[in-house]
This record gives sequence, C-alpha cells and structure tokens, in this order.
Amino acid sequence: MRRCLIIEDDTENAQYVANGLRELGWWVAVCRDGMDAVGRSIDEAWDLIILDRMLPNDVDGLSILKTLRSMGRKTPVVVLSALAATDERVRGLKTGCDDYLTKPFAFSELAARIEAILRRSQPDEGIREMRVADMRVDLIARSVERAGRAIALQPREFRLLAYLLLHQGRVVTRTMLLESVWDYRFDPQTNVIDVHISRLRSKIDKDALVPLIHTVRGVGYTLSAGGPRGEIAG
Amino acid sequence: MKSAFARWWSSIAFRQALIFGALVVFTMIVLLAVFYVQTVGAWQRRIDSQIETTTQRLVDYDKRSGSLALGNHINSLLGDGIDSDTEVYTLVAPDGHVVAGNLAVTGDITGATRSISEHRVLRAGRPSRSRLRVTALSDGSILIVGRDMQDQHELEELIRGAIYSGAVATLLMAVAGALLFRRQLERRIGTIRETAARIERGDLAQRVPISAQQDEFARLSRDINAMLDRIHALMEGVRHVSNTIAHNIRTPLSRVLARLYTAQNAPKPAEAFPDAVGFAIAEIQDLNVVFDKLLRIAEVESGARRQTFATVSLNEIAVNALDLYDAVAESKGLTLTHTLDAQPTVTGDGDLLANAVANLIDNAIKYTPSGGAIHVDTRRDGPSVTLTVRDNGRGIPEEERTRVGTRFYRLDRTVPGWGLGLASVLAIARLHGGSLQLQDAGPGLIAQLVLPVTA
Repeated sequence: MRRCLIIEDDTENAQYVANGLRELGWWVAVCRDGMDAVGRSIDEAWDLIILDRMLPNDVDGLSILKTLRSMGRKTPVVVLSALAATDERVRGLKTGCDDYLTKPFAFSELAARIEAILRRSQPDEGIREMRVADMRVDLIARSVERAGRAIALQPREFRLLAYLLLHQGRVVTRTMLLESVWDYRFDPQTNVIDVHISRLRSKIDKDALVPLIHTVRGVGYTLSAGGPRGEIAG
Repeated sequence: MKSAFARWWSSIAFRQALIFGALVVFTMIVLLAVFYVQTVGAWQRRIDSQIETTTQRLVDYDKRSGSLALGNHINSLLGDGIDSDTEVYTLVAPDGHVVAGNLAVTGDITGATRSISEHRVLRAGRPSRSRLRVTALSDGSILIVGRDMQDQHELEELIRGAIYSGAVATLLMAVAGALLFRRQLERRIGTIRETAARIERGDLAQRVPISAQQDEFARLSRDINAMLDRIHALMEGVRHVSNTIAHNIRTPLSRVLARLYTAQNAPKPAEAFPDAVGFAIAEIQDLNVVFDKLLRIAEVESGARRQTFATVSLNEIAVNALDLYDAVAESKGLTLTHTLDAQPTVTGDGDLLANAVANLIDNAIKYTPSGGAIHVDTRRDGPSVTLTVRDNGRGIPEEERTRVGTRFYRLDRTVPGWGLGLASVLAIARLHGGSLQLQDAGPGLIAQLVLPVTA
C-alpha cells in the first residue's frame, strides 16, 4: 500500500485530500504541526508528501522541504499553497518540490498531478516503442501505426499523443496538457485543448474497434485500451 | 533654562544659525587678534629698536668721552623736556651708586644684561612698568636705557576691553539671530506640518498653502502638493478597483448563497440539493479563476517580473499561439492566417507575452462569427515592434474602446468571460513599456500590441 503524509493545519482541507487519497487506495497520515512534520517526514518512509506552506507558528512548509532535500531524501513532494504568485511558485520548485498547486483546487487535478509525478519518479529510460491495443508508437522515429496502418500526425499532435501515452491509464487534466505540451500557463476562454484532442482522436480512433482516447467528464482525458479506468472522484 | 536650551538646540534652524553666529564671532576674534598683534606688536618692536639704537649711541659716547661725561650727557637728556614722560636713563657706577638717571636701581635689574626685557620699576619715584636694556660698560659701570610702558599697557588694556565687549556683543547678536531665524523657519515649516497633520487625521483634500515668495519653501510646498495629488489619484484608482472587485466577487457569492438557501428551504430539499451543489461548485470555480486572474494582473502591475526579463522572439511566441489556436479556429469555421516580419526581438517575459498574444487571439476567436477571418502579423517599425490581431467580427464601438482594458468591463455579457482578458494584456503591455491599441477594422477589430525592440 502506498503511503502518503499530508502536512496541513486546516482540518477540512486535510480531510478532503486524505479521503480522496484513501479512496484511491492510499494509506494516509495527517500532520498538523510543522515541528512534528519535520520529524515524521524524515523518520518514516513515504511514497508521497503533500505539503502546505503557511503552517502554525509561522513555519513555512518550504523550510521542511529544504530540510528533507538537504538530507538527500528524494520523496516526491507536492506543495499545496494559497501563495500563487509566480515567484512563490518558482521558489517552491527551486527548493525541490515536484509540483506546486495553488488553493483552492479540485481533488481530480491533484490526483492527476500525483500520478504524473509518481510515473516520472520511475523513469522509462531507453523506451523506443510503446504499444497500446493495436497502436504502435515509435518515440524516436516519431511514427504512429494503428492496426498496421500508418497515421500521419503534426509534430504538436505527436507530442500530445506521447504525453497521453506516458500517462497511460491515468487521467490528465486540460491544465496539465496546456502546461506540458504547449508550455502555456494561462486559462484560455475557448475550448482549445478539447479541439486538439478531438482532432487527435479523429486520426487515432477513426474506424478503430477499440477507442483509445477517453473523456473523463469534468476532469480531462485518459488514454487506455480498456475504457476510462482511471476515473477519479472530483 | 536648560530644558529651553535643549529645545532650541533640537531645532536645526537654531543650531545652524548659532553655528553660523559662532563662526562669525570666531572670524572676528581672529581678525582682532591679527589687528592687535600687528599694532601693539609693531609698536613694541619699534620701541625696542629705539632703545637699542640709543644704547648703542650712549655706549659709543662712553667710549669716546668716558663715564663721567656720559653721566652729564644723561642728565642733560633727562632735562631736555623731550619724551620726559617715558624715557628711562640710568648710569650705575661699579661701586653701585647711581651716577645719573631716573630709576631706582635694584639688583635684579642690573643682573639682567644683554637683552631687552620688561621690569616693574620705580621711575622718578613713581611705580611703573618699563622695557629696559641693561649694558655693562668697559669700566665696570652699568648703563640702563629704557622706556616707560605704562601708557602703552593702558592702551592695550583699552583695546583688549574693546575686543572682549565686541565679541560678547556679537555672540549675543548671533544667539538672538539664531532665535529669530529659528522662528522664521518654524513659521514656514509650521504651515507644511499643519497640513501634514490634517492629512494624517484623514482629510486628504488638504494642500499646503503656497506663499507669494518664490523661494525654496514655495518650491517644496508645490512638490509636496504634486505628490499629494498623485497619491490621491492612485487611491481613487485603488478604491475604484476594489469596489469593482468587491462587486464582482460578492455578486456570484450571493448567487451561490441564494441558490443554497432556496434548496434548503425547498419542500423536498434532498431533490433540490444536487442541482444547487452543482451550481455552487461551478460558480465557486469561476470565482477562483477570476481571483487568480486578478492576482496575476496585480502581479504584472507590480513590475516584479521585470527582474527576469530576457530577449524573446515575438515571432516564436506568435507561432506557438497560432499552433495552439489553429484547431479551435478551424472547428469554428474561421480562417486563421499570419504574416511574420523578419525576427523582431523584444526584452521581456516570454510567458507573459505568450499569454498576451494568446489572449488577443482567444478574444478574436470568441467574437468573430463562423465564416470570419483572423489575421496575425508582426511588423518591425523603427524602435518598436507591433503584433497585430485583426478580425472581421463585430468589433468594438469607438466610444467603448477606451473603457476596454478596465477590469471587469465587458462589451457583451451574453458571451462567457470575465472581462479580464484585455485588462491583463494591457497590464502586460505596460510592464514591457509598450501599449495596446484598438482600432476599427471596418468591420471587426484591429488589436495591436506595440512593444519596444531590444536595444
């Protein structure tokens, strides 16, 4: 069972995240005090730490993160904070967190980002080719085949497909796609991402027996051979 | 008295005036000292040289005619009525008796030979101070030549007295001047301080009255007033912004509350809840987006991101934005075309500029009906580079154009949005020292992001 430590002083928020993670099969501990948190985060083994920034007694969560990293611990850390300014975010990432999410947030967004981080922490080195159902993708030659038939993709469509493939079976949100595939950090008012996905879908899933790209209502998208498995309560 | 002085001393005007007064007094003292030394000293030196010459003359006389004749000569000198008030001549025989002269001789006078020095003596029976030259003659008798200094000392006393009283008078005048100066300055500063105090108490409309004289204080007062005007305008702006923000955040909050209360009071609450909760979640998510956008605009306006400026290619930014939006344009039945000028680079924040460009294209797509055309171009124009997004949609009426870019201002409330897109583009343009210009494309809108080219 995967173990997660939530360092957060607000009971309501901590419960919300803890319940969500428990539903996904995590073992969760909540720590409300900054001093306590330093000890627990170092003494015990965790698969993930979720860290709030403004803790009681003027403790900045980032100082806990700093201590952890200075001791060589590579535990994935997601910072959850109301401090949303770009320089605060940059400070968080520089201190060594794996993702920085601003409050308020939807649990689905957090869950999707956690999955992305955990996948990243097990790097798929040297993977040249990936297969899902009857689709074969060559990551080096950047070519795609479905049922033995070559599919021509634009470079950006290929990047989109590759990102979905790397997060196979997991949900990726629109914000994640916008950030990772297009490198944008803003909130478009038109459905840009949906249109790109539907284009990609029309090329990949057209005439196929098994659709691969699925919409997860209210959250985002997932790529899998067996339907939208990774559905998350949001 | 001491506390009064302490109070005066704490006044810079008083201190300055007093220091200046002290400087004047010091200068005067130096001046008078020089004067004193020059006059009194010169006089003394003349007397000494006179004594010296006379001594020489009498010594020669003694060599030529002997000490007896010298005694007679001294008697005739004393009796000639010239300088009889001041002259001192005395000849003392080797056995100690006075041969001729007007001085009561004591041992410590005859012992002091060789140089001219001053002694308290009895001259013609009257006590006085005299400068004396004591010379031993060849036959062992002693010649004393001198000059009574009593008058001169009295004169010196007089001059010294004049100097002292003059210095005291100047000092008193300096102190009085310092006090007067302090009062003058205090009065001028007082008006400024009074205004400041009234402003501090909350009356922001107060301004410093400007005196008729065009002096430093008038200039300072004008500067202060200009500063106050600017602060006042900024505060008005802030108040306007916070009012609109409050309105735009309270309205959705009250909508959510109303919906939830209604559901709570419905005949069958359980049936009304799912809809109300869905509504509440959607509204709060919207609010969160609004809040985020507002904070980002504020962050841009604060100018903090200028620290991370780098050289960025506007064409690259435009190409990325086009790449993001071509699909959605196509799906809406719009043609999205572009012409890009040769590599215009600007100094700025790539992320923010990308947001601005994406926002402009996003807007064009939103407000252009199906079948329309959107054209993006970049053009270098001397010291500036312009990115233009031109559409043939409904455009913005001329009288509304200046208001676009104000937070929460929306031309059409039926189209989804928050009225923050162009406000953020405007803030980003200003951060980069550029501007956002809106023109009529007849029909449609020409939105131009004008930025200074990297120097």
